[in-house]
Amino acid sequence: MNHVQPDYARKHASPRNKRAAAVVGVGHSDWVGDWARCRNGERPNDSYGYAIDAFRNALKDADISRDEVDGLIAGPTTAYERLGELTGINPRWGGQADAVLAVSQAVMAIEAGYAEVIALVYGNDQRSVGTQYGGPEAMGGGAFLSYVYHSPWGLTSQGALYALTLQSFKHARGFTEAEMGEVAVAQRGWSSMNPNAIMRKRITVEDYMASNYVCEPLHLYDYCLINDGGVALIIAEAGRAKRMTEKPVFIESVGRFDLNRGATSLEPRIDDFYLPAQQAAAAQSYELSGLGPKDMDILQVYDSFSVHVPLALEGYGYCGVGEAGKFLREQGVGPGGKLPVNTGGGHLSETYMQGWAHQIECVRQLRGECGERQVADARHVHYTSDVAGKCFSIIYGK
Amino acid sequence: MNAIEAKTPKPVMGLYDKPMWESINAGAMRLQRCRACSKWQYPPGPACPQCLSCDLEWTPVSGRARILSWVVFHRQYLPAYPAPYNSIAVRLEEGPTMITNLEGAMPDAGSIGKDVRLVYVTMPDGVVLPRFSLAE
Repeated sequence: MNHVQPDYARKHASPRNKRAAAVVGVGHSDWVGDWARCRNGERPNDSYGYAIDAFRNALKDADISRDEVDGLIAGPTTAYERLGELTGINPRWGGQADAVLAVSQAVMAIEAGYAEVIALVYGNDQRSVGTQYGGPEAMGGGAFLSYVYHSPWGLTSQGALYALTLQSFKHARGFTEAEMGEVAVAQRGWSSMNPNAIMRKRITVEDYMASNYVCEPLHLYDYCLINDGGVALIIAEAGRAKRMTEKPVFIESVGRFDLNRGATSLEPRIDDFYLPAQQAAAAQSYELSGLGPKDMDILQVYDSFSVHVPLALEGYGYCGVGEAGKFLREQGVGPGGKLPVNTGGGHLSETYMQGWAHQIECVRQLRGECGERQVADARHVHYTSDVAGKCFSIIYGK
Repeated sequence: MNAIEAKTPKPVMGLYDKPMWESINAGAMRLQRCRACSKWQYPPGPACPQCLSCDLEWTPVSGRARILSWVVFHRQYLPAYPAPYNSIAVRLEEGPTMITNLEGAMPDAGSIGKDVRLVYVTMPDGVVLPRFSLAE
């Protein structure tokens, strides 16, 4: 047993993907406008419609025609073939993946020479069709047994899984409820300066503490939004990217490590807080890029729930193990803080695009296009994701 | 829908889950234990994740466990579970982690690390669930 463990992965950081590819175009649908229309009972689009809105905008942003695209990766909620049909793309390489895997696969395909210009396209009509993320038929239950296995005991929702994680984390680390509140408060600080964000009203830690629990210890403000929308990126081979645009955003490196053992009973979350996998994924991407936490100007964290943020701060080396609470309180992750985290507002406050919108926020910050919320002179942005213990570390740079 | 009619959410019932639920209905929960390496597993499966042996034996558990984490639902999601209700994670003495409910009390700030004992609770619709109550 234990043939492949995080230590092993750290010592064998062998991916060859350093600066193999760059983002040359990004686009998204009208999250704010479509939110209002959905709240009004309309269905502005289906998942494919949102995906195509975003793809059209990404092509325009890249200033290329569709004919230059020779690879297509469809997000998880749209069938690859139908999305290819609707976007009119017959690629020489294709696939279907979630956000972080899509970026990884694009880099891999480009590095291996299977494609040069890949469109990554995501659309989701989860709000208008009432997608269920809890209950015995919860979305994702086919892929993650933990999402459905505990339903006889009333534990079915994604929130409940992360509530168990937070409770255990609080106990193990001495992490407090008010420290948890710092994340939602900080992200509202960012989203208040983001015209693309759905929730823009600033809140305080007092507001957080006074808000209702949904699944205790998680408050309402710890939960992501559920909204409709789409996101697209165009990723090109590095050399070609430089010829295509003045402002390519390079993918410096990608690292990954997964914890699957004990996953259905949630052991990677409530025992380990994903830490060994985060550390291994981080080590791979740091070693390959020659960069580390001190070089990062911004951290973007997959935040279906706010608790992902303290786990990431410890796991990816932004503070010591057990220091996330102090870091959130004293260093700060909001506007004016030492480490800007989720500068668009994240899933909690900007838009719940299942990690896709975080990628375009990385790109826009590095291009300097973020207006009021722009982090001055941002040179490196780190994206981390640890969904169900599948831990990724992606570093974007100029 | 009232609590009498409320259906307990059905368990996942794969090929290897059935013997476990039969043992729960009989009031003596058994889990698979590997004859080759002695490792216990939950949820049930086709082989031992530690040594990949298929030589598994359904073995009664002691019923002793310790609380690892807990939550309280403040909203109702399921007809069988009016709010507030709790779920807890426990580590069985045999090793596996199990998601269940704390019976007889709501968990609180001091719950993590407390010893609990397996009890069998019959739900209003007749389904028997393995739950845990605080040990003396």
